[in-house]
Amino acid sequence: MTSNLLSIAASGARAAEIALDLTGQNISNASTDGYVRRSANNVEVASASSWSTANDVSLSGVTVSGIVRNADSFLQSEARRTASDTAQATSTVSGLTNVETAVENSGVFTAIGTFTNSLTTLAQNPTDNSARATVIQAASTMTSAFNIAAQGLSATQTGLQGEVTNGVSQINTLGTQLAAINTQLSATSGASSINSDVTTSDRASLMDKRDSLLDQISQYANIATTIQADGSANVNIGGVSGPPLVTGTSTNTLTATTNSDGTESLAVGNAAVTLGGGSIAGNQAALTKLNQIGTNLDSLASSIATTVNTQQASGSDLTGTTGAALFSGTTAATLTMTTSNGSAIATAAGGSAAKSADTTNLTALTSALTTLDPAGTMNAILTDISGSVSSATTTKTTLQTLSSAAASSLSAQAGVDLNTEAVNLVKYQQAFQASAKVMQTASDIFTSMLNLH
Amino acid sequence: MTTISSTSTSTFYTTAAEQLASLQQQVSAVNNSISSGTQFTAASDNPEAAAQMRMMQLQDATATVDTASANKATSNLQLADSAMTQMVNDINQAKTLTTQAANGTLSDSQRATIGTQLSQIQKDLLSLANSRDSNGNALFGGGVSGNAYSLDAAGNAVYGGTSTSQTLAIGDGQTVQTSLTGPEVLSMTDASGNATNVIDSIGALATALKAGGSAAQTAAQNGLTSLSNGLDAVTTAQTVIGSRESWITLNTQNLTAQSTARATAESQVGDTDVSKAAIKLQQLTTALQASQACFVKMSSLSLFSVIGN
Repeated sequence: MTSNLLSIAASGARAAEIALDLTGQNISNASTDGYVRRSANNVEVASASSWSTANDVSLSGVTVSGIVRNADSFLQSEARRTASDTAQATSTVSGLTNVETAVENSGVFTAIGTFTNSLTTLAQNPTDNSARATVIQAASTMTSAFNIAAQGLSATQTGLQGEVTNGVSQINTLGTQLAAINTQLSATSGASSINSDVTTSDRASLMDKRDSLLDQISQYANIATTIQADGSANVNIGGVSGPPLVTGTSTNTLTATTNSDGTESLAVGNAAVTLGGGSIAGNQAALTKLNQIGTNLDSLASSIATTVNTQQASGSDLTGTTGAALFSGTTAATLTMTTSNGSAIATAAGGSAAKSADTTNLTALTSALTTLDPAGTMNAILTDISGSVSSATTTKTTLQTLSSAAASSLSAQAGVDLNTEAVNLVKYQQAFQASAKVMQTASDIFTSMLNLH
Repeated sequence: MTTISSTSTSTFYTTAAEQLASLQQQVSAVNNSISSGTQFTAASDNPEAAAQMRMMQLQDATATVDTASANKATSNLQLADSAMTQMVNDINQAKTLTTQAANGTLSDSQRATIGTQLSQIQKDLLSLANSRDSNGNALFGGGVSGNAYSLDAAGNAVYGGTSTSQTLAIGDGQTVQTSLTGPEVLSMTDASGNATNVIDSIGALATALKAGGSAAQTAAQNGLTSLSNGLDAVTTAQTVIGSRESWITLNTQNLTAQSTARATAESQVGDTDVSKAAIKLQQLTTALQASQACFVKMSSLSLFSVIGN
């Protein structure tokens, strides 16, 4: 009977010791990313009595049946989903901001205004060489501005495509790592798959890794995860209906293909992947917008060139010959001047003599440009992209609020609170001391029995 | 089985960091807008206002060019005006001389002398008709760069310019012709109802006076009617020029009024309201200081600092 008391006390001391270890572990990992707070699952041990009689009192103390990993899978997937949305919004904003900067800083708008104004100035003195040189200068500044905008867009496009490629290779690496974790989780599942909450410390740390990998993948792309009975995770990329990326221990490779218009398409094998979240989705959205802005710029550049060149052909230049095209190229990147000679501007009506001060054709050109309204079109393009940045920023702010709320509630449930651990430390220390006291008592009782005469 | 704490320690720190960073960012944005004087640094801060600003700045640049065009037109019109005043003087002088020649008591040689003087006036008128504008082109020649009138073999003045004079855009879609063509100024009908021009009319009169005889006196009497017609033509043209000048003045006033209105709008749309911004800055810095103080207090509230033994 006294030996029973000793072993009960010993089991209590052991349980308290494990609980203290866990508290220490929690405190040490208070700032570890992906660490989920652990606690010990204590189970009373009541062994069968030697007499096997009903109503028999036979107590054997306590045992730690396993480690409880305090993770709520709903909160986890909610935090993951909202974080994925935020990652998408953040990368959309950063991509679009780069597009905005490229188009706005190129100064195309100002250059168009300067060019049309220089034509108006030329009308004041159409035979003046310096006024003609000013027009040529303004036109060449405008073509450079278009070129710079196109280069800026192209650099941004390359950057965004690089981010997509990088994200895809990260996803593949993370998928492989997840498959490895899945392997270990299935291998260790044998003994302790009775209750998914209670597990061994090894498996708890594997699950931390698993969840951390899932979090990382969802930063790049939105995923749907299914946790199997053995703790392994299956991942479908692009949501529940998307193709599988990781199934148990096997992985599929995600691939990115650059389309002819510069946008990126994703696929797993032959199955196309449409992302609804994650930074890659943001990059894709920015690439689509970039492509649209680039097309608009190209058509603006081309329409200016066509309008000017067409009008040139119906007038006479300063030497009395029919005006030649001033611009060549049909895209923002290729728009260039064909001449640097001011006398090539056909200001006079067709068939006029050399050095004619007639401005019929120049007036027609000015009014054709007024009808085309390139500055208005450019203003619309700039408003388009800056409006997109602005609304994407608003979306980002909203999603950030949602994801930080989800992260907070997950963290409140699964994270380490040092104050709680401080209480636990005191509690388990006292439990250990109490068990020690019980041992002391058992020993005292045993001694008094030995001392019986 | 498990206790759910209000929040985890790491969340407390990350949340505090995020909140402080957000306040810091807002302070810096307000500070930036005060020091730069503009409400937005990138167009995406306020796309509509940025679009408005861009267009208004473009209109400012266009208005500068339009004002220069208006000045150019005014200076050409003034040149035309003064050339025409000279023409009127010449014609008046010719009229005085012709009135003398119409007097029956004058001898042929005296009429011939008047004829010579009239020839001089004719030359003078020709050179006035070939005046240059401020760019050095023919003032009354439409678009030609050379002379508006030249004399043919018979000594008649032939107009070599274009049929309309040049127009300049002076803003708001308005255009103005910067001068008149030679025929618009000098075309007239002589005493017999034939279409001619002032130069030729005086030339013919001079030739007739130099020829002498009784025909010379008749020519002088008819010449008076012709000269009156010529004077009418030139003064009418001068009135047109004068009305164009006042039209430009009106338009320039309009442009100036628009520029002023635009400057006000630009300031409202783009400039920082400094007093509002200063109050916002004060409010934000107060909140930031309070949050910082709060964070320090909260973070020192650890159970560990109390349970130590």
